[in-house]
Amino acid sequence: MRQRIPIGVLYSRDCDYHILSRAAETGALAGIAAVNADGRRGLEFAAVSQDPGGKAEAYGAGAAAMLRHGELRHIVGCVTSSSRKEVIPVLERQGAMLWYAAPYEGFEANEHVVYTHACPNQHLVPLLAYVLPRWGADVFLLGSNYVWGWELNRAARELVGDAGGRVLGERYLALGDTDVARLIGEIRATRPAFILNNLIGESSYAFLKAFQALGLEDDAFLSANCPVLSCDLMEPELAALDGAGEGHLVVGPYFASGEGAASSMEAAAHASVLILADLIEAAGTDDPTMLRPLLESRSFPTPLGALTIDPQTQHTHLPVLVGRIEGARFRPVWQSETALRPDPYLSRYDPRLMRSAPALRIVS
Amino acid sequence: MRRGVGIPQLGGAKALVLHRTHADASALLRQLAAIGLDAQAVWPELSADAVLADYVFFDADSGFDGQMPWATGEAPMPLIALIGTEAPGRVEWALRQRADAHLVKPLGNAGIYAALLIARQRFDERQAMIREIASLRAQVSERRTVIQAMLRLTEAGKSEAEAFDHLRRLAMDKRITVEEAAAALLAAPALKAQNKRA
Repeated sequence: MRQRIPIGVLYSRDCDYHILSRAAETGALAGIAAVNADGRRGLEFAAVSQDPGGKAEAYGAGAAAMLRHGELRHIVGCVTSSSRKEVIPVLERQGAMLWYAAPYEGFEANEHVVYTHACPNQHLVPLLAYVLPRWGADVFLLGSNYVWGWELNRAARELVGDAGGRVLGERYLALGDTDVARLIGEIRATRPAFILNNLIGESSYAFLKAFQALGLEDDAFLSANCPVLSCDLMEPELAALDGAGEGHLVVGPYFASGEGAASSMEAAAHASVLILADLIEAAGTDDPTMLRPLLESRSFPTPLGALTIDPQTQHTHLPVLVGRIEGARFRPVWQSETALRPDPYLSRYDPRLMRSAPALRIVS
Repeated sequence: MRRGVGIPQLGGAKALVLHRTHADASALLRQLAAIGLDAQAVWPELSADAVLADYVFFDADSGFDGQMPWATGEAPMPLIALIGTEAPGRVEWALRQRADAHLVKPLGNAGIYAALLIARQRFDERQAMIREIASLRAQVSERRTVIQAMLRLTEAGKSEAEAFDHLRRLAMDKRITVEEAAAALLAAPALKAQNKRA
């Protein structure tokens, strides 16, 4: 008789970032299905879903509803940091655990969260280290008006400064705002070497389409001459871009190959469920306090490869790929030799990484 | 003095936690290690080499005088008070240590990184202010020297403008400050000023 373990799935189906949210939900459900279909497993998961409808404040209530009876102790969920911050106090009260499978801005290491996607030393830092020597260091920063954009752009300002570059502009749009004419005008006037795009969802798509149109008017803004960098763009969003992403740059622990997970978020959510199943089998219980000590020196086979989790930060050692958008794919242009140790507080950041090569602007 | 926090290089920074063995101390050590610091709990007293630490967290509930190897309030690094009981006597004791930030018990995962950044900023600002006050004090006391030198020169018959001009030229010739020139003039025998006049 297999042990039946309840697991919460907490994603919004209808929101400004619904493509990312659905990618993660798809991965979580695929992970649950894979565990349940595996006859060698000593457990099966019973999924309990809640849809907070994209409202950050509804995530806390959603998590509380799942955890109310004390039987459910693990939730896979949340995409935005604002939603994660709403869930954490509930987890702390109930002694539960969140499996968080989205790239985020770092500066957190809560023992009630296992972070299975990238933090800044695994996305922003290697992406800038790739771009600065090749295109130059003068940047225009864009972001949606919440913590992801603010913090990534703040970190980028420091990193670009370490490379001797300048921030030529920094602009924010409200979530869902697609009025990008002013941004485009400022970028045209300031002529940055590259753009860091921390807009999310519809704002990001509207920007990339308008930037593509700008490139047709002025060669300096073609993707080969002035790439747009994104730390959270996923392959399933490319359809919404209608070709406007072509040639721009992305970073992630995994790129879809046509088989298996369609994005790194889907793969990370899937991996989260498999890791959880392995831990429960090893511990003989789903009690988070019993699982935590088992994170150490253990490797988990997942769609992201064999993963290890840093027991101190509960963040994941992850490979890093920098890619160029080509059609419906991300083609790798650089990849780390090994999985990168997570450094969510950038405490081990070395400014020399940004100064390693001369900042030459490629002129075509 | 740097105003922003930049990307604080906390990797390998040394933190001491002056607290008896307790869940609060363990939670704090865990989080400091997660942030990347090299942290260690100590009780009941800090040894002399504690002056090498980059941060000291101390228990405000059961802390006592003489626990730290420096004069009260003169820690050479940022201090962070761990406050459980809010009895005014205990808060007063923590204030006397000149804590630059505080955390409220029970300690969890939240607030510790912010406390490190706030304590570092406050400590650096306070140190800069102490240095600035010392330099202003020195200027004020040198001003008395300038006035005395001016007095000696005017007593010897120069006008106020001539006296100051004299000091300034002396400073320029010797490439020293006006204050130093004044001190040099006062150190010389009074006769010399009179001779110059002649």
